[in-house]
Order: sequence, then C-alpha cells, then structure tokens
Amino acid sequence: MQIFLYILKRILQSIPLLIIVSIISFFIIRLSPVDPLAELKLNPSVSKETLQKETERLGLDKPIIVQYGKWAKSFVQGDLGVTSNGEQVSVKLKERIPNTLLLAVIVIFLTWVVGVPLGVAAALKWKSPLDRVLTVLTSIGMAIPSFFFAVLLLIFAVKTGWFPIGGLTSSNFAEMTFGRKILDLAHHLVLPVTVLFTISLAGLQRQMRANLLDVLDSDYVKFAKAKGLSEFKVVYKHALRNAINPMITLLGFEFAGLLSGAALTEYVFQYPGLGRLILEAVLRSDINLVMASLMMGAIMLILGNLIADILLIITDPRIRVKGGAS
Amino acid sequence: MKKWVYVILVLLVCAVFLKSCVHRDVPPVEVVNNIVHNDVESVSFPAHAKTVLVDGVEYLQSQAPVGKFGGQLRASTIGEGPKTFNPFNSKDNTSSTMSEIMYDGLLTTCPEDGEPIPKLAKSFEINGLDYIIHLRRGVKWSDGKEITADDVVFTWQNIIFDGFGNTSTRDSLVIDGKLPTVRKIDKYTVKFTLTKPFAPFVRMLSTPIAPKHVFEPAVKKGKDYFYTFYSTNTNPKEFVTSGAFKLKEYVPAQRVVYERNPNYYIVNTNNEKLPYLDKLIYLIVGDLNNEVLKFEGGEVDVITLQGANVARFKERELHSDYKIYNLGPNTGTMFLTMNLNDRQNEEGEFYVEPVKQKWFRDLNFRLACDYAVDRKNMVLNIANGLGEPLFTAESLNSIFLNKDLKPYDRDIEKSKEYLKKSGFYWDEKGKLFDKNNNRVEFDLYTNAGNTEREAIGVMVKQDLEDLGMKVNFKPVEFNTLVNKLVNTLDWDMVIMGLTGSPLEPNGGKNVWLSDGTLHMFNQRLEKDAKSPRLDWETKLDEVYIKGALETDFDSRKKYYDEYQKIAYEQKPFIYIYSPIIITAIRTKYKNIFPSGLAGITYNLEEIYEE
Repeated sequence: MQIFLYILKRILQSIPLLIIVSIISFFIIRLSPVDPLAELKLNPSVSKETLQKETERLGLDKPIIVQYGKWAKSFVQGDLGVTSNGEQVSVKLKERIPNTLLLAVIVIFLTWVVGVPLGVAAALKWKSPLDRVLTVLTSIGMAIPSFFFAVLLLIFAVKTGWFPIGGLTSSNFAEMTFGRKILDLAHHLVLPVTVLFTISLAGLQRQMRANLLDVLDSDYVKFAKAKGLSEFKVVYKHALRNAINPMITLLGFEFAGLLSGAALTEYVFQYPGLGRLILEAVLRSDINLVMASLMMGAIMLILGNLIADILLIITDPRIRVKGGAS
Repeated sequence: MKKWVYVILVLLVCAVFLKSCVHRDVPPVEVVNNIVHNDVESVSFPAHAKTVLVDGVEYLQSQAPVGKFGGQLRASTIGEGPKTFNPFNSKDNTSSTMSEIMYDGLLTTCPEDGEPIPKLAKSFEINGLDYIIHLRRGVKWSDGKEITADDVVFTWQNIIFDGFGNTSTRDSLVIDGKLPTVRKIDKYTVKFTLTKPFAPFVRMLSTPIAPKHVFEPAVKKGKDYFYTFYSTNTNPKEFVTSGAFKLKEYVPAQRVVYERNPNYYIVNTNNEKLPYLDKLIYLIVGDLNNEVLKFEGGEVDVITLQGANVARFKERELHSDYKIYNLGPNTGTMFLTMNLNDRQNEEGEFYVEPVKQKWFRDLNFRLACDYAVDRKNMVLNIANGLGEPLFTAESLNSIFLNKDLKPYDRDIEKSKEYLKKSGFYWDEKGKLFDKNNNRVEFDLYTNAGNTEREAIGVMVKQDLEDLGMKVNFKPVEFNTLVNKLVNTLDWDMVIMGLTGSPLEPNGGKNVWLSDGTLHMFNQRLEKDAKSPRLDWETKLDEVYIKGALETDFDSRKKYYDEYQKIAYEQKPFIYIYSPIIITAIRTKYKNIFPSGLAGITYNLEEIYEE
C-alpha cells in the first residue's frame, strides 16, 4: 500500500517538472532563428500565395504564447499533432521507436551481461595482471569518442567489405525467409552495437569494480571472512548484494537513454532510429516532432528514476525502513 | 639508452604518418584536367521514340538498342527521403523525383536539345492560344484501366486549377485573375485554351496525370484530406500508376523500392514492354560522405560526385567497374550580390546605411568589385577545377544562354579606374575612401555550414581587400540569412546560390521582376510595392513579361538575351561560377546516354543490366 502512495506522490511531483520542461523547450525552439520555411522562401518557383498558405497551416502567424497553448492542449489530449510535412507525429515516432529500442536493448543487455562479471572479476583479482589489463582496456573505451570510433568502423566496413555500410536491413529484406532476416539484421547491427557496447561497457565495469572494492573493504565483510564463511558465500551472498545498489540507480538512467542515447552513432551508421529523425526535425524547426521527442525523453527519465527507486526499495531493506518512518 | 629507442620509434611513426599525408595532399592535377572536357557533346542519342500500333494499342516505341530483361538499379537520395508519394503535393526535390517516377506527363523534354516531345500524349499541336493534345489509344494504368481524356481533364481541372496540393503550377498560370480552360473533345483528345499567350505553358504539360478513378474520391473529401492522400504511409498496393515503375516498399529512413509496371506503354523495337529492370531502389542516406562510402562499398550503382572525390574516383576508374561522366555545368548559379535598397523600414531607419547605399547603387563600384573577383582562381581552388566561370544570369547549359556576353579575366587596374571615376581614393596605406571621406567597409554574409560558399567568401574578401576595401566576412546560420534577405533586409553583401532551369527562364521571375519574392538585390516588401524602380529594373520587368508572352523560341530568345545583357551590364548579381556535374555509374548498365539537360538516369525504362 505504502509503495503505491509513494509512486502516486512521485507521479504528481513530476507534473510541474514536465510543464516547465515543455515551456522551456518550446520557447527555445521558437525563439531560435530557425525558420521552418527558409528552404521554400529561397526557391524561385514558390509563389507568395503558397508561402502565405504554409505560414497559416503551420500557425506561424500567431504569437508564440498562442502557439504554445494550442500545442499543450492537444498534447494533454494525447494528440501529438502533425509534422511540418503533414504526417502524424505519432506515426513517425512509431516507425522509429522499435529500431532504436532494438539497438538500445541489445547494447544494454550485452554491457550488463559482460560488464558486471568483468567488474566483479577485476575487484576480486585486485591489482592482478587481469585487473590491470581490464583497466587499460576500459580506459581506452572511455577515452575514444563514439563518433570517431563509429567512423573508423565504417571505414573498416568499406575497406574489407565484411559488413554493410550503415542501415538496418538489406534492400532485398522483404523477400528473405525469416531466418535470413534475422541474420541480415544481426549483420547490420554488429558495428553500431560494437561502438555503443565498447563505450558503455567501460563505465559499467569500472563502476562495478569500484563498488565491490568498497564493500570488500568494509568491516562486515572482514568479519564474515574472519568468522570462517567460505569465500564464495562472502562475495556472492553478502558483498555483491550491497555493491549492486548504486548500479540500480545507473540502470534508471540507462532506461532514460533507451530512446535517445545513441543519436551520434545512429547518424554515422545511418541507422533508421529516433536520433536521426529528431536531429533532422531540429534542423527544420519541426516544432511538434521536436516537442514530442523532448517530452518523451523527459518522461522516460522520470520513469527510469522511479523504476530505479522502486527496485532499490525491493533490494535494499534500509530504504524501506526509512520510507516507513517518514 | 631506452629513452632513445622510444624517441626514435615515435619519430618513425610520425614520419610514416607524414609520408601518407604528403602523398594525399598533392592534388592530382592531370586527372582533373582529363575530366574537364565535356562528355555530353560526344554522346550519340538514339532516334526519337515513335508511336507504333500493336494489337490496337498505340505504344511508344523506344529506338534504343534492345537489352536484357531483369536486374535492378540502386540509386540514392540524400536527406530524409520522400515526404509524400503524391506528385501534386510535393514541395521538395526528393518527393518530386520519387513520385514522378510513378507518373508520366503528357509531354517530356528531349534530352538532346530540350524541345518538348510527346510522352503519354501521342502528339500535340499549338494553334495560337489552343493546345490540342492527342492521347494514345489503349494504354493502361497499372491496374488495367485505360488512360483517357477524362483523366487529363480531371487532373488539370479538378486538381490543379481547383488548387489542390502544391499550387505553384496553378499560381503561375493565373493571368489577370483568369485560368486557362481545359476541355474534353473526345475520348482521346483534350483542348487547353489560354487567355493570353504564355510560352512556359508547354513545359507545364509535363506535369503528371492522375488516374481519375483513384484520385476523384480523395478530391471529393476536400483539400485537407488530399494533403494526406498517397502519403508515405499509404500501402504500396494502393498505388495506381502510369510510369515505368510502381512503388513496392517504402522503409522510412532506409529505402524506397519500386517494381516494374507491367502495363507500361513504352516498348522496345521488338515490341516487348519496357522497362527492362525488375527493380529500382533508392537508398535514403543521411549525408554525402555516407553516399560515397556506399558507392565505394558497392551498395549503390550510380552517384553524383563532388570536389576531391572526383579525382579520387577518376584515378581508379580504369581498374574499376564504374564509368565517370562529365555532364557539364549544372543549373546552379553562385553569385555575390549587394543590397541596392534605398528605402526605410517602419521605424524610419534605412535598411542600408545611406553612406553604403551610395556605393552599392553606384554602377562603377559594382563593376570594380566584378573585375576584382578572381573567378578562375576560385574554380581551381574551391571547385577543384570542376567548374566554369560564370558571367550570365542564365546558367551555362541553358538553351536561352546569351552567347554574346563574353567572359573576362580579373583586372585589378580596371577596377581601380572605375573606383577613381566615382571619386574613390586611397590613403598612403592603401585604404579605400569614398569622395566624402568615408572608409569603405561593409559586411559580407553567407550561410555557415556550406563549405563551398564559405570558401568563396574568404576568397572574395581577399580579392576585394586588394582594392583597399575592408570586408567583414560573416557566415551566419542559413535561416538567419534567409530572414535577412527576405524580411529584415539589413545586409550589405551576400554570397548565395540559386538553381534555375536550363529550359525555362520564366522560372526566375521571382528573382528578376521588381516585385518578386526573391528580388534580393532590391527587395520590396509589401509596403514598398509602389516604390520607384531603377531604370534598368523597369526595363527588366518589361522584357521578362514580354518574354513569357511570346511563344516561338526565336522571339523569346530576343527578350531573354536582352535581360541577360542588362544583368551583365548592371551587375546586380556578380556571378562567380557554375559547378560541373560529375556522375559515376557502374559499367554493367547499358543504354546510358548522358545529357547535360536531363542527367543520366532520365531514361529509366531503357536502361538494362548486362
């Protein structure tokens, strides 16, 4: 019961936050000198009448406040509006969300499956050659800019011909059998996943290592060891459970980045995800599309934090006790 | 000892890097010189297609060599891909290209000489204000219904004249508030009647024709519905088309796939239905670099190359599976222009400072700038030699180009003479002052991010500073620049580019008419519509309007020669150069007849894969 009250409180708290985010975003976009009609205006074959009609259709002839009011009203009603080309924003987003999710989920799954054990191993074998090698490798991973790494891999793909040059599916994808489709997707995903995996693995592995080292150094672990518990029990039953708590907070942030975390990599690999869509929308000042994606980002962040907090309550009894006391 | 080993190692690595850099940076000049000759002039086009009667159907018979059926062609488009597949709604190039693949117009342009020739129409005649179109008997839409006069009348009357979708065509046809009329004579004959002679009309007949039985229900639902009709979310099966290809699959941000239209009305000399290719694929790529990589990696078969890539690909052409074609100068014009505006804004402030107005409105000043600009140098250094210096308002491949207007070289002495004539003088440090002792200093804008224009800006700045002027070069964001050009008008000089048409100068009327929306050099806002015109502006208005009213080529040419001459003498725009279009296509594709007017893949139905 208490947990539901807590969730409700958090949701109510996030409403003013969302309103502020939306106001700031809307005004910054509208006040920037980007003119959605600039391309049309410089096209000699576009007539005055057409320009006039476009201005009215996009509502650019009204004051910003009125534009914001109109947008907010329809947003609350669940209507994301239309893009500057007249397509439904929701349809546009729906086209891209699965692609971005596919990439993000694979990357997060891989980094956690590989990163957490590597962090544990490094902490247990502290200052051993294994630890040192991993430190060097993760340093490289953290230092290399994703954009640059992506470009390097793309050149690698061109030179060797082993991997497709960007995109998500081959041009004859529609005619493939199911198995071939999976293989084709995997073939296209290797390079972008490699980039994102390398970058986020480094952070995660180091975080895990540092947490576990902290815990291993604490008194109760020493006590448990002194008591004669087996090494396995000490590490995996007592130390690890405590070391994993900060990682859960991290997971909350990763959840927020699910839909927006890889824009640069997506752009280099011409991946048909949300990042590319939104970048292009910003350049065109396509207000409804940009607002929809910003709001989506904000909501995902709030949700991610909420989920992390709830998970923490479940894993960490200390928080439960405090929550109950307040 | 150990330290020395490291130092030597580091130096070695550096040396290797430097070596490869040096190798890369030497411009392969011979290669570029090889490619500067135009390939288009030596192409031997097949004879014009003719109409043949087979089983009661009047097919159009292509005279190109007979090829092999099957295969596919993969092209690419840069940017976000099409925004609609409805040819009447498209407002951008990609959408137009993508939708017009599926819809043929009554007429088309001969790739060889630019003359209008029949396509979906069997023939056409022009009698004064009447344009009579004869249609082919028995040719069909992709769903098997016959294409008749009803479709043509419906397209022109109910879609275009009634203002559905993009109304540019309609807007340019309104003369004195009246539109032309279109009438069905019989099942295969349509008559258009204009209210006044209007030469560009014949080109507009290449507008796609829509299937009435599919579009009529959409038109009945109103303009807002029409705007979403045949959008990118439409199921490809619903498309009923007349073009060589029909949409098969659209994957957002990835590709557009077309398949052959089994009912296409063009046949080869064996009377087999074209097109040869089974599939046509457009990959949607985000930027130029990715497109080049995809061509290099063999994922794309045809590409337009630019800048340094040309030399790189040309070097390897001999040992590769592609051939590079030089299609000659494109329709783009790159220019430097000054703000000749002498009006005030609503607050009573001048758009241009009065001191600067005197310079910019002085022909001697404009000529001085013109002679100081080193076009050849810019072609060599910015366009990698792949451009032609430009001096005329019409692009170099235009059929209306005034060939009497001769190019000239940079002549700084001549520039100085012109400046002296208007009382400008130099102080002992070589700084330029006008006769009222004002230092000549102004801002030069262009859009940031366009590396070509930025490079031109830097070189123009240097060239003008040789005359003692002080030029503040300020690249600004594209939208900001457009806003300056068309709304706030607070700029001195700007480097811009516009695209034109090689066939129809009337498309530039927004630029050249004194009340045009893009009359940049002396832009009049709504409130200034009645303000006095310069003498030569009045003259330009006159020849431009008369040019559109004449119908035969020679009398039109006279007027358009005159307009180019005025622009050449008065220098409202100081033209810089036109880039050359370089296209590469894999050699396995045959029936390639590159044309400076139409490009390389205009005859998609005739192209086949060997």
